[in-house]
Amino acid sequence: MKHTFFRLALGLSAIALLAACGGGDDTTATTTEAPLAAVVPSGGSGSITGLVSYSGDDTDAEINMDADPVCASAHSDPVSTESVVASDGNLANVFVYLKEGVGGSHTVSSEAVLLDQTGCTYVPHISGIQVGQKLVIRNSDPTLHNVHALPEKNKEFNQGQPFQNMELEKSFDTAEVMVRLKCDVHPWMSAYIGVVDHPYFAVSGTDGSFSIEGLPAGDYVVEAWHETLGTRTQSVTVGDGAVTVSFDYDA
Amino acid sequence: MPVPPVKRPDRHYNFERTNVVFAVSSIALLLATVWMVIPDYAKPWKRLQSQFRDLERQAAIEELAAEKQSLNENELAQLGAEVAAEGEKLVAQRAEIDELESDAVKVGKRIFAADAQARGSKSLLDTARYQLDQALVSGLEKRIEAAQTKVDGLVEKWTGEIKTLELLTGQKEQIEADLEGRRARWTEAEKRLGALRSGVDSLDERIANLDKRLDYFILNAPLTDFIEPDLKVEQVMISGLFQNINFTTVDRVDRCMTCHVASNRQGFDGERWEEPFRSHPRPELFVMASSPHPYATFGCSSCHGGLDRATDFARVGHSPQTQEQEEEWVHEWNWSEQKYLAEPIYPARYSEAGCVTCHAADVWTPGSQVQDTGRELITRLGCAGCHVIDYPAFRDLPRTGPSLNRVASKTNAGWAYKWIESPRDFHPTTWMPHFFFEGNAQLPATQARQQVEISSLVAYVWDKSEKLSYVAPPSGSATRGEELFNTVGCTGCHILDGEARRDDFFPQINRLNGPNLVGTGSKVDAGWLYGWLKDPKAYNPDTRMPNLRLSDQEAADLVAFLMNQRNPHFEGLEAPAIDGVVRDELALGYLRNNNTYEQSEAILARMTDHERNVFLGEETVQKYGCYGCHDLAGFERSKPIGVELTEEGSKPVHQFDFGHVHDVPHTRHDWLEAKLLDPRIWDEGKEAVKTYGELSKMPNFGLSEREAEAILTNVLGFTKESALASRKAGQSARAAALAEGRKLITYYNCQGCHLIEGKGHAILSSLGDEGQLPPNLAAEGARTQADWLFDFLHDPGSVRTRPWLSSRMPTFGLSDEEINALVAYFAATDESDVFSTSPSRPDDRRSLVVGEVTFGMLQCAKCHPAGEAEAGVSAGDLAPSLLLAPERLRHDWVPGWIKDPQTWIPGTNMPQNFAQLADGSFSSPLADAIDAPMFSAQKRRMMSVFESEEELENYLADADKVTTALRDHIWWGLN
Repeated sequence: MKHTFFRLALGLSAIALLAACGGGDDTTATTTEAPLAAVVPSGGSGSITGLVSYSGDDTDAEINMDADPVCASAHSDPVSTESVVASDGNLANVFVYLKEGVGGSHTVSSEAVLLDQTGCTYVPHISGIQVGQKLVIRNSDPTLHNVHALPEKNKEFNQGQPFQNMELEKSFDTAEVMVRLKCDVHPWMSAYIGVVDHPYFAVSGTDGSFSIEGLPAGDYVVEAWHETLGTRTQSVTVGDGAVTVSFDYDA
Repeated sequence: MPVPPVKRPDRHYNFERTNVVFAVSSIALLLATVWMVIPDYAKPWKRLQSQFRDLERQAAIEELAAEKQSLNENELAQLGAEVAAEGEKLVAQRAEIDELESDAVKVGKRIFAADAQARGSKSLLDTARYQLDQALVSGLEKRIEAAQTKVDGLVEKWTGEIKTLELLTGQKEQIEADLEGRRARWTEAEKRLGALRSGVDSLDERIANLDKRLDYFILNAPLTDFIEPDLKVEQVMISGLFQNINFTTVDRVDRCMTCHVASNRQGFDGERWEEPFRSHPRPELFVMASSPHPYATFGCSSCHGGLDRATDFARVGHSPQTQEQEEEWVHEWNWSEQKYLAEPIYPARYSEAGCVTCHAADVWTPGSQVQDTGRELITRLGCAGCHVIDYPAFRDLPRTGPSLNRVASKTNAGWAYKWIESPRDFHPTTWMPHFFFEGNAQLPATQARQQVEISSLVAYVWDKSEKLSYVAPPSGSATRGEELFNTVGCTGCHILDGEARRDDFFPQINRLNGPNLVGTGSKVDAGWLYGWLKDPKAYNPDTRMPNLRLSDQEAADLVAFLMNQRNPHFEGLEAPAIDGVVRDELALGYLRNNNTYEQSEAILARMTDHERNVFLGEETVQKYGCYGCHDLAGFERSKPIGVELTEEGSKPVHQFDFGHVHDVPHTRHDWLEAKLLDPRIWDEGKEAVKTYGELSKMPNFGLSEREAEAILTNVLGFTKESALASRKAGQSARAAALAEGRKLITYYNCQGCHLIEGKGHAILSSLGDEGQLPPNLAAEGARTQADWLFDFLHDPGSVRTRPWLSSRMPTFGLSDEEINALVAYFAATDESDVFSTSPSRPDDRRSLVVGEVTFGMLQCAKCHPAGEAEAGVSAGDLAPSLLLAPERLRHDWVPGWIKDPQTWIPGTNMPQNFAQLADGSFSSPLADAIDAPMFSAQKRRMMSVFESEEELENYLADADKVTTALRDHIWWGLN
């Protein structure tokens, strides 16, 4: 009995005490009103340009499209797998992107990336896209294609495109280099898309050259990715002007 | 001037001194009280909770800074300007707005008054109606008339008031809409600004809540901390999951979260957070309320072990991971091994052992790969052959090794001797363990005895073995044999690699199901091999090796290839001669178990040399328990020789004999781990002391550390019953069907080729080509008819569903009971009924016509052979023939499959043609496509069964209707 009384008394006095200082709370609880930090600059005047060289030959195999007459009749010249496209010691179809050093968030390009299925091949064979950017997949062939994406971090999809000129819109949620796409109807068809969370990427052309522009100054790690020859990385420091980086692949 | 006190003669004590004594003792009492209060109050967990609060606040402050960094200043400034501009516009209209606002208030007041008046009139009206009712009952004309008049008057009044009210409400709404309109842009801008800042604002709030202000200190001070302290013991009572405390089982009361404060919250991971301040690493499975094991019903200790109700670090039963950690704990927490705690917390690497308590009946433990691998290892290593392990996964297991009843037909005694001596020298990946020349057989006398034991084993087995004779096989091509070996399906269960180690395959050990075929040519007779490949059950009716239905030529090619696999060290061997003296000494030892010296010697003397060898061999089989893994004539009913392991995880530490070994810590798991890695370790230094028969016999399986860890993750969980049946998984009929199927799937190694429950496809590593993979059996129960599946499993050769695969489903020779169990298993995985209804042909012609036309438009036949003429013409036979569908597939499953294949079988090559929309429904591409000129013929064809174009389009736009029509075409149009 006594104990209960004691607790009650203590409780009440504590509550009274609390109430008394309750008023002061609002003033003491200052929200940390720090000034908003400067925004990460998007876009700059630096750029990275370079060349991908390759010491081997163009070893692409020829594709036999006899299995689907529609595909076979679309080509008069033989078509190659495009896995190693090299000429004069330069390597095409290498995806080059900034792997490390890019901070902040970037506006996603409103322009859609087009992946066309024409003559039973993917055009382009290698491409890049930003996270959230629209990807339009078109079937220009009068035959059935299915676009079967095999990502590891993004959601897998496998969509049929039975009609000519049918278009499909997709986008990727997570950065992933690279996402492979294939067509199960035509097993020779494959394409790769590099999904990155910034706009700084490029694909080397037939002359092996690439250029990434509009870069803010800073230290970056650049990676080159090739379908069969693997990856190469380099660290670069970008200032105001253009920095040259070259990647070498051995046969 | 003070007068000194006079010592009164009637007192026997000194008053002054008594005061001193009282003073001193009351001070001592006060100090003792303070001393009592402080340790009672200053519990280590309070310090931890308070520390976590500080850390969390610090993290929130950093997060806030980052959040502010990422706020787009431009956008923020722009919105701020917009808000300001709109605000200014509002200021310009201040007078009007003020007037409107005051109007709104005025009208509001009038509404209130009008509403009150109407309500008043309504109640008067109700009264009047009642009076009218009473008047009617009374039947008095006058009264009726008066009442009626009153009612009429009130109705009129009330109606008028309601109209006024409605009018006023309308006015108010108008004013408000006007105000809203004027403010809309401002509100909108404000809202966007708020949304942009919401991350910052909520963080601000969180930081403020985590601040330690005066109220925090008062609420958590000694004595006042009963009111509503922040620092308090978090506990949950868990019924049906028991803790054994001093020989009584009581429900668990879990208090772990008192210190592990963040375990039920997300985001406390990464390097920044250390235990006890980390989130549970698998929130999707544990702790979270939405997971299958919410904290409130399972607590922590029912899985992790340890003393549930302790809040003192040292008493809980924490198990250090490393020596380093142990030292740190001793230093920081005064930690010591809890010798008398029956089940301390499982060390982190064994933490999944806790699953066994409730999941033993599931056979597989979904979500615990390490436990599943351990269970498979226990099964394949044949642990249950020597040790009773009374759990569903290990009960009544068939013997894991080959039958030895006809082994003399297959190989020779010289090979057998060398094999028993050292199996891993021949097959580096074998499951057969080393029994001889281990660590406790270093003395020459011991080794001489072991040589004799091996020879006697061979003598016994050869004496009992049947000897069948085989003719030489037809000649074959080793090259074709090799190709066949790699493609027909052998590699789902066999490897052929002298360099491979079992550990290389961890955790997917399916390809080690059958023997490594390296050295086959030095082991077996070619005639035997041919006969075996053609019909394994003819040699051993109980073998699990299936029949691949090889043609004579195929079998001959495989024989040619396999007989080329040689191991010169195992060729041309003879079993060494037996040392008679040692043999007789060993034999006498056994004889003396039941006889006197004199009798034993007399019995031995009556035996011939061969009889003595065979006698010793029989005793040696018994001694080592060979029959635990091999069928062996004479030992069909023998009992397993090892200790029972059913409650090994509860065996007290003091019952483990650590012998003379001093560098193994005295814990249950350390003892078991050392035993698994080197089974004879506890004989160290005792070889000369023990009699030969007393030496440890457990053989050495050559386990890697992670294999031992996986096995122990099961064995440590083999504890005394500590959960009510109702709390355990696997108690339903469906679960029983799953468990039965899983046992068969493990035994026949179905996952060597197929993907089942997300695991398997082991054969991929040898096939290379994903397109050649045997089917993923996801949704098998939902898609195939039970009768078809039964017939198929009974005779897989009767039909080839996927003719493009080079591997073929072999004939396992399953019993009807086994097949039924598998059919029930697949039905259970998809929660479908075993039996499906049979469909009837639709009356509506539309379905068939639309089905036929859309089947063409969607180009289904591009991959699916759909008729005799078309088969094989398209781009490779990529998908099962649709002619088989009506017999094979469940008709009610097919439309759903066509609509959304990826959900049924993730990764399937079957494309989705009906895109899923944001609201979950499916759209059809056909309604749009049908108007294209290239489909004009198709449209005309369909219009023949539709009244209008609109009707057709509606039909085509409905994914359910179209997929059903496609199914109907497959069922009744194609077939």
